[in-house]
Amino acid sequence: MALATRSWAWLRRNALPIYAGLAVAYMLIPIVVIAVFSFGATPKGKLTFGLDNGFTTEYWTSAFSLPELNEALFTSLRLAALSTVISTAIGTLMAIALVRHKFRGRRLTNLLIVIPMATPEIVIGASLLSMFIYYTVALGFTSLLIAHVMFSISFVVVVVRSRLIGFDRNLEEAAADLGATPLTTFRTVTLPLLAPGILAAAMLAFALSIDDFVISNFNSGTTVTFPLYVYGVSLRGIPVQVNVLATMLFIVSVLAAALVMVQQRRAERMAAVRPEPIPA
Amino acid sequence: MRGRASSRDGVFALAVVVAAIVAALGLVACGGDTVGGGNSDEVTTAEGGPVEGKLTISNWPGYMDPGPDNTVAKFEDKTGVQVDYIEDVNENEAFFGKLQPQLEQGESGGRSIFVVTDWMAKQMYDLGYLQEIDHADLPTVFANMRPQLEDPAFDPGRKFSVPWVSGMGGLWVDTAKAPEIRSVNDLFDPKYKGKVTMLGELRETVPLVMLAEGIDPVEATNEDWLNAVDRIGKAAESGQIRRFTGNDYTEDLTAGNIVAAIGWSGDASIVENPNAEWRMPAEGCSLWSDNMVIPVGAPNVGAAFGWMDFIYEPQVNAPLAEYITYIPPVEGVQDLVKPELAKDPLVFPSPQFTAKCTDQDSPPDIEPVNEAWQEVITG
Amino acid sequence: MSLRQRLVPYGLLGPGLLWLIVFFVVPMYFMGELALRSGSLTTGYTFDWAWSNFPDSLAGHTEQIGRSFFYAGTATLLALLIGYPLAYAIAFRAGRFKLLLLFAVIAPFFTTYLIRTIAWKTILSDSSPIVSVLQTLALVPPDGRVLATSGAVIAGLTYNFLPFMILPLYANLERLDLRLVEAAKDLYSSSRQAFLRVTLPLTMPGIVAGVLLTFIPAFGDYINAQLLGGTQQSMVGNVIQSLYLNQRDYPEAAALSFLMMALILAVVSVYIRFAGTGAFMGDEEEAT
Repeated sequence: MALATRSWAWLRRNALPIYAGLAVAYMLIPIVVIAVFSFGATPKGKLTFGLDNGFTTEYWTSAFSLPELNEALFTSLRLAALSTVISTAIGTLMAIALVRHKFRGRRLTNLLIVIPMATPEIVIGASLLSMFIYYTVALGFTSLLIAHVMFSISFVVVVVRSRLIGFDRNLEEAAADLGATPLTTFRTVTLPLLAPGILAAAMLAFALSIDDFVISNFNSGTTVTFPLYVYGVSLRGIPVQVNVLATMLFIVSVLAAALVMVQQRRAERMAAVRPEPIPA
Repeated sequence: MRGRASSRDGVFALAVVVAAIVAALGLVACGGDTVGGGNSDEVTTAEGGPVEGKLTISNWPGYMDPGPDNTVAKFEDKTGVQVDYIEDVNENEAFFGKLQPQLEQGESGGRSIFVVTDWMAKQMYDLGYLQEIDHADLPTVFANMRPQLEDPAFDPGRKFSVPWVSGMGGLWVDTAKAPEIRSVNDLFDPKYKGKVTMLGELRETVPLVMLAEGIDPVEATNEDWLNAVDRIGKAAESGQIRRFTGNDYTEDLTAGNIVAAIGWSGDASIVENPNAEWRMPAEGCSLWSDNMVIPVGAPNVGAAFGWMDFIYEPQVNAPLAEYITYIPPVEGVQDLVKPELAKDPLVFPSPQFTAKCTDQDSPPDIEPVNEAWQEVITG
Repeated sequence: MSLRQRLVPYGLLGPGLLWLIVFFVVPMYFMGELALRSGSLTTGYTFDWAWSNFPDSLAGHTEQIGRSFFYAGTATLLALLIGYPLAYAIAFRAGRFKLLLLFAVIAPFFTTYLIRTIAWKTILSDSSPIVSVLQTLALVPPDGRVLATSGAVIAGLTYNFLPFMILPLYANLERLDLRLVEAAKDLYSSSRQAFLRVTLPLTMPGIVAGVLLTFIPAFGDYINAQLLGGTQQSMVGNVIQSLYLNQRDYPEAAALSFLMMALILAVVSVYIRFAGTGAFMGDEEEAT
């Protein structure tokens, strides 16, 4: 009896982490499936979601043997990285202006930010293409970059803004009181406090870019991005290497995060060993 | 104070927007102009040249053998031409959609050759987006082309298209679950409700359904087309048809979600279901080709011609045919491929095999039929 | 305020506004102009103030519009229910593993949409064990299926837009001062009351952001319906896709797109009014 009440109490206390754990598991289901089937032996080298043909690591050892796949993936990564940096920078500045400053045309700006999100991708893609053609802009990496930054800005603004709203100004005021110029305050107080929001926005921008199909399809010219490549080969059977690389991408991202985490812990421990002098 | 500021702000914003729109439209309205519109009157003939330089080709996925020694590499070695071979034709219409603005301006986006299906080639030609081809520039092609392909209905005399492969549209059947399906009419049998799919492309599915009703698609009237579309529409609404697919019907077949589908003869390499086979419908199949065409504004036509001639050499086409497993357009390939492939009626069909098959054609008046069809497809 | 100070916001907004104006507004103008034309690909598109394109494009597509609302709305709600506790847990219970968990949750979305969907299609295929389990649990009729149904499309939308919900929620939740919640509890409120009276209102900006970032793109999505749906699950995005690519009726496609955008904006304004403009726009800097 006591066990029952104790377990029930434990369940209630840990309901949140349990629920969160289930949610994380749910989000990882496809990637687990993808990873598992990257070990499937398939006679034709085409992806099947079934291990009936046996288990093999050959696709992991020959993961980079498809030049078009490698090129497409590399192009997408470069594109996403650049697009993320540019759109996050631009979007953060806009968010700051929107939340912190007074200016004319606030409604218009808000409208301009929301509308791109509401526009169907095919319309954005096709109309951008028409404009590029009209002004004879060459289609390729540059036109793709322009398009990706464009549709990412709105998302960045919304995410960063939601963090900025209701931000505690006291810290910044304190810095100003201590003689810091606005720029220094921004650099040493605002930005670090904003960091989680900016990071979240950057992750979203990266995901948006690396996953984009429709707009890229219209504006890529003869450049092939990873989603375009996958869509193409899906018609005739996806090579298993695609699965392998997708799994690798996931592992690398998580490892990078883990590395940062380890670095943070080390920094904390160092700070603990050499304590700051207590102000008099 | 703040309230007043924001409403003034809103009005200001609105005024700016309205003013901008009016100004912009005013500029255009003065024109009353027309953009686009086809014109096949001023069609040019592609001019050949030396086989050198760079060549960009847009083709469908799965139409080129893989590996460092593939057909592209062989061509590059033989001629010194640098080939940029891109597989970005996933669907005729999506490809057309993204190329249309450029073709309208007489540009091809750097490509010298596209490969598109019969009806799309005709559509592009009618809009003036393609160049004509002088047979004298392609001796090997026209010497080795299979006779049945020399004078198709959509391009009499082959003025603008050179076939890459041909194929048949028919029935894919899971023989373990529904061995008795032999006609497109069987797909409407309530026994298989929710377990059949049809292709979402108008010219693939509707002619087959019309054939099953005894109507010749090439002779059919708009009325016939609309009736067939209606029949399919009712089947879709009742849930008889599970969904309309592109190439992904192969996934449903592999996963066992369906027992039958309208699909293509050459897809055996991607259907991983040992019980599934392609069947010639009792009433006949649909025959189509994917064709190389030369768009307006194509650079380096000389190299393009060199490529086409190269592909039509039987010893070059044979390994290609072994990989693609669709019907090769070149005479004499049957003797050069592996024996199992040479005997495969899906890759080398005899005239008797395709006796009842029809060419793919468009309805006499495409727009109302297309509109009705899109209603069916998009629920 | 000095002139320089007054110009600061414009400087901050400058790059973004410029980019959006040149690469969004201008193309949209082209689109808008296209919406007022009539004709076809063969006859050319003549500009003749064809306002009729707008009501015409709506006619016959009301079903898809309603469906899009329903699918996107349900998916947003589900994403909120799944995403909020997850974001909360990552923000407050993950300790050092915050970044790791965040990446673990987002990284599956760096693989292409198509591969993720194919993985789901395999998991949910008619003969998979998962579907059998669902059938035993009577969540799916015994001879029913999961794929090619509305459920599959909503599930797909929910899954694929979860990051759009979680990231803004996290960004906002993370700065929540838990001491306020503690204070509420010190003042004898229950956990539930503390949540409803303190946490929820304070995190409203995050919720508003998440809902917008999920609902708006989900409404215009077409690919979930195309890959996971059957013949009766098409959304507005599919219609526009078909109008543009298959029927090549560019004017009607453009008109329907504009109508769709207007509809979404209307819904968004109502929602923002309901959730509080402060939660969306933030406060303008009060002149002290």
